[in-house]
Formats: sequence, structure tokens, C-alpha cells
Amino acid sequence: MQQTANANEVKLTKKKSPSSARKQAIAAYAFLIPWLIGFFGLVLGPMISSLYLSFTKFDLLSAPKWVGLDNFITMFQDDRWIAAAKVTLTFVVVAVPTQLIAALLVAILLNKKMAGIGIYRTTYYLPSLLGGSVAIAILWKNLFGMDGLINQVLAFFGIQGQGWIAHPDYALGTIIILATWQFGASMVIFLAGLKQIPKELYEAAAVDGAKKSQIFFKITMPLLSPVIFFNLVMELIKSFQVFTSAFIISEGTGGPINSTLFYTLYLYQKGFTQFEMGYASAMAWVLVFVIGVMTLLVFMTSKFWVHYEDGGKL
Amino acid sequence: MRKTLLFVLMLLLTAFLVACGSDSDDAASDSNSESSGKETASQDSSEDEITLRVAWWGGQERHDRTLQVIEMYEEQNPHVTIEPEYSGFDGYFDKLNTQLAAGNAPDVIQFGGNLNDFVLRDVILPLDDFVGNELDISLHDESMIDSATFDESFYGVTLGTTAWGVLINKTLFEEAGIAMPSKEWTWEEFQELTPQLTENLDGTYGAGDFREDGFGVFLAQRDKFTYKDGEVQFEPEDVKDWFNLWKDLRESGGAAIPEVQVAASQTPEQSLIVQRDVVMESIASNQYSAYTGATEDEFELYPFPYNSETGKNGISLRPSQYFAVYKDSPHAAEAAKFLDFFVNNTEATEVLGNERGAPVNSEVRDNLIANANETDAAIYDYISLISETSDAPFIPNMPGYNENTQLFTETSQIIYYDQKTVDQAAEDYYEELLQNIEKYVNEEE
Repeated sequence: MQQTANANEVKLTKKKSPSSARKQAIAAYAFLIPWLIGFFGLVLGPMISSLYLSFTKFDLLSAPKWVGLDNFITMFQDDRWIAAAKVTLTFVVVAVPTQLIAALLVAILLNKKMAGIGIYRTTYYLPSLLGGSVAIAILWKNLFGMDGLINQVLAFFGIQGQGWIAHPDYALGTIIILATWQFGASMVIFLAGLKQIPKELYEAAAVDGAKKSQIFFKITMPLLSPVIFFNLVMELIKSFQVFTSAFIISEGTGGPINSTLFYTLYLYQKGFTQFEMGYASAMAWVLVFVIGVMTLLVFMTSKFWVHYEDGGKL
Repeated sequence: MRKTLLFVLMLLLTAFLVACGSDSDDAASDSNSESSGKETASQDSSEDEITLRVAWWGGQERHDRTLQVIEMYEEQNPHVTIEPEYSGFDGYFDKLNTQLAAGNAPDVIQFGGNLNDFVLRDVILPLDDFVGNELDISLHDESMIDSATFDESFYGVTLGTTAWGVLINKTLFEEAGIAMPSKEWTWEEFQELTPQLTENLDGTYGAGDFREDGFGVFLAQRDKFTYKDGEVQFEPEDVKDWFNLWKDLRESGGAAIPEVQVAASQTPEQSLIVQRDVVMESIASNQYSAYTGATEDEFELYPFPYNSETGKNGISLRPSQYFAVYKDSPHAAEAAKFLDFFVNNTEATEVLGNERGAPVNSEVRDNLIANANETDAAIYDYISLISETSDAPFIPNMPGYNENTQLFTETSQIIYYDQKTVDQAAEDYYEELLQNIEKYVNEEE
């Protein structure tokens, strides 16, 4: 959408005098400067140096020592690295679909015309604004604690609760639920996508006597698939980088017994508490690579299931 | 219209650039630090106007007392401005590591038993040149000076003396209708008492796990030590015995169940003993006032249960924290003067009290004991009880403190949830511990 807006603008400016075009160009670059400074100073520079550091042994204080591929080789023999990779993959595989399904279902419900719908939409969007915060992570820790609200509710129904966060079998589950609860951002995009589907199609289907399930799978889903695709990619990338909730809930340990040792959390431990910044940098680059490959895979499969009305020509 | 826009834009841009520029100066001082009037401390500014940055971690009480002393110091030394950088313990060392890497660490830094890790990494200034001049340590306990001496150089002033102990909730003992044990109790008595407490109380367990610190005491009772004279001085057998002791305690009902234990917080206000989840917990004696302050119940500090075979309690007096000076501090001499004030000045130490442990300067300590309130008196009593009965040397932390502590906690949890047998978990712990230590020691040399 942004692209088309820009394109229109370009067409408009062409009709004007060259001097005003130059002024506009200057203004455009002036607007870009803060971003450019940020990009070169805070993103590209550190990224290049971290690429270099990933081939070194670097304890933050003495000069980095070149060790070639050692860091990358060590990784595959490091039990905690393997545990961290497993935890993160489990999280991605479970949390991304559940979150997308939740977002889609709520979006469909909120697509109805009814009084006060704006309030409902806001309410369901709120968690995604708050969800990533430290405060919510602390709240979560208390909800799922031994004497937490969850257990009190369970006790009301006569079920003996667990120390959910303290148990290695359940701790990751509580974080997945926390992530699912933050479906708001995807939901809003789904909602916009649903609004774009022409009403005529539904009307025609209704006239032809299509069942609700048929309408959903034959009309809604295909027409929504580009939006699903977009949300899937975004959530996938985001989920690989989960950090805050695990850091707060496990007090930075990734415990109990590494059950919430997310990849980024282990990376942080290595870099900042164990002074192995070279290893941490190597880990970061492996993560970049994996996210890249996964995203590419999703893109490659997209031609089998993503349906563009204009034939997919962007 | 467009001009106005451009003007606003330029204004924003200028603001952004200015913000960036001054940020780098201030980047180190986080939200906690109160930036005091002076903005910059250029390395060789006019000799009388200097800024010292002082960093520590702690709870609110420590912050209040330390800030008060800083104010006193600034009043007496008008040419010195002190920028405090304080926070809770979480993240303190992560932040410090980043500052050290960036070369903008504070001038005066608080360390714990991990001072040795930082001395090994060559970021701490030896204070020998200042001793006897700016810094007087003639009345300091010899053992505490030794604890901060590495390769015959003196690196840090001890801020307090402390000792491990078992904190007991006396009120809960009364509620359970069980008589308090004698202060020369044994592990056998402990094993007998704890299940009774659990049984007589609703929703409260006899004891919380004594953790890694307890293991150190347990070893000392057997004349073994975590790390002494550059080597690990215990065997996998000792690790097995320790974890079996606690496994038995859990099975008898005496110790808290895993779910309670794993979720336990080390913050006094949220600790198991203050929350009445357990009757006994191990703490360092200087934390006593923070724990008693957080509850209505009556608490008492006991030595660890004795080993009935060796007859030892294994507790030693140990430094709680140090103040040390950053190697590249531009005002090292002024920093040393501040340290001197902090531990030797009568008024300053009266404000600081016992919060970081019993003062290390004997004159100061006598003065405080003479004026102690009830809580502080209990701590001094405990410290003197320990100095009379102490039968173990002070053992500094093993190199690689952070990593080792996490390994110990992980091992406990593996045993809690039966993921490995005690024997297997203990052997794995031992092996990885040796690897960690080797890594840290070799890396620095």
C-alpha cells in the first residue's frame, strides 16, 4: 500500500518545476537522515563487527583472538545450545500456529456488525500492546505460581494445581500461552483482510446454497491467504527472537532445568554473564541464518497455497 | 506551509543530534542514577572540581543509607561531586561487564565474593600505593584484608563481615508446639525436626533448600573446601552426600517440595521464610535485618547444624562486599579517600550500620555495638558466636561464579524432578564444574 502511495506522489511531482522537485528530494533526505544515522551507526556497524567477532574468542575486555570456525563447531557439542535450540523450535512450532488461529478466529468474530464492536476490538487488541512488557511477564509469573490465580480457580473445581512455572514440563507451556494471548497485531491485520473480501462473493455463495463451512474454506480462506502468509512470516521471525518473557519468568536462568532456555536468552547469558562474546556472536549469526532459511522455505511453499486475485503479480 | 514544515523538521533533527551527542556521555548512568549538577568529568579538569562515580547493588535500605553517606562526603569535600549508580542485584553485573568492555566503568565499584574474577580480568586497581596515605586499613581485620589480597596486592576494602547461618521462624516453632533446638544442634536433629514441623503446620514445610552456600558449609564441616589454593578440594562423593541429604529430607516431608523450591525468590520480602512457606532457610547474617523487617514473626539466627562426626559447624566469617577502584579511574586517589571515609569515619559508619555486615574496622565496630538496636545486636551476637565457634577458614568463590552457581541450581533441579539419579547428576556436576574452572583460570593467564 505504501508503495502505491509513493508511486502516486512521484507522478504528481513530475508535473512540477525541477527546482521544487529538488527541494522535495532534499526534504526527503532530511527526513531520512535520522533513520540513516541509526541504520549505519546502530545496525550495520555492530552487525559487521559481530560477524567478525563470531570467528574470535572475545571476553569483552582483552582483544579478540581469531579462532576460525571453533565457535560454530563448539555449538553442536554444547548440550545447552542444543537444549536452547530445541526449546526455541518447540516454541515456534507450537506458538506460531496457535497464535495465528486465535487471531483469525477472533478477527472473524469481530468482523460482525454489532453495537459497541469498537470496544471489543480495542479490548482484544490491548494484550498485544502490553504483552511484551516486563510487567505482564511478572503478572504471568504470579498467575501461574503455586498460589496463583490459575490454581485457585482449579481448586474451586476440585483440581489440585501445579507449580506451573516451577515445573520443567509445564514452564514452556505457560510462555506459549502468554505468546498466544498477544494475538492482537495479527488480528487487526486479519480483520483488515476480511473487510477487503467483496460482499458479492458471499451473497453469490449464499444464493447458490453453500454451507457455512464451504463458504469459509472456498471463499474466506483463499482470499485471505495473502494476509495469512504475511502474518505467518512476521510471527515466525518474531517467535525465533522471544526473550523478555522467558528472561523475567525464569529470572534470567532459563530454568527449571533449561526448559525455558530460549535461544536468545542463552545467547545473552553467554555474552554478558559468562564473558563469551565471540561465541554469543556466532550464535547470533546462526540464528540469523536459520530465520533466513525458514522464511525462504515459507516463501517457497507460498505458491502452493497463497492465492492472489490478480494472479500473484506484484 | 512547506517552510514551516521544513523548519520544524530541522528543529527536530537538531534536537535528535543533540540528544545523541549528550547521550554518549550519560549512557552509563541509568535511570536509577541521579545525575547531579556536573555533566562531565574531563580527565584533567581544574584539580579541585572532580566527579566520582560510585556503583553498588542492594535493597532500598542500602540505597538510602549509602546516599546519605555520599551527601555527607560531598558536604565535607565540596570539590567532589559523586554520581551514584545503584540498582538491585539482578542485572548489576551484566551492566558492569558492558561498562567495563566500553571502558566507562564507575570509579568505585561494589563487588561480592566474585572480586577475584575481576582481578583476574585485570580491571581492578591495586590499592597498595594509597594504603597508609589516603586509605587507612591499620584497624581492619587481618583476615578481611587477606580476602582482598591477590598476588600480594591489596584490591578492595571490605564493607562488612558476615557469616552464613540458618534463619529460624520462632513464631512458627511455637505454633507447631515444638521446642527450639539448642544452638549446637546436629544434622540428625535437623532431619528429625523438619518433618515434625511440616506435619504440625498447615501448608508450611520444615526447611527450604540450603543451596550452594549451604554446600560450602557442609564441605567445611568435613574439612573439605570448594576451592582453595587454586584447586577444587572435594570429591564427587561429597556432592552425592549433600544431594542425598536433601532428597531424604524431601522424602521425609521435612524439606519443601520442588515446585515451592524452584519458584523461591531470594528477595527477602518474597522469600519462602517470610511468606511462611518454610520454617527455616539459610541466609547471610547481614541480611537478618532485611528479613526481620519484612515480617511480623519473630526470627532467630542459628549456626548451621553440626556434623556429629567431626563436631564442626563449618562456618567462617566472610566479607560480604567490597568497594574496589576501577583500573582506569582518572581519580584513583580521590576514590581511595572516599573508601577511607566510607569504612573508617565514625558518623558515616553509624549511618551505614550493619547493613553490609559488621564493620571491618574494630574501633568502628565497637562503637556500633555500643549503640546497637535490638536487631543489630542480634547480628553482632551471632557474629561473635561465630568468631568463638568458627572452625573453618574463609573460602573465596570459585572462579566463574555466575556460571558455577547456575550449574549448581540446575543440578538441584535435575534431582528434584528425577531427571537423573543423584549419583549421575552429582558426577556430571563435578565434571562440568572442573571444566568451568579450568576455562576461567586458563583464559586469564
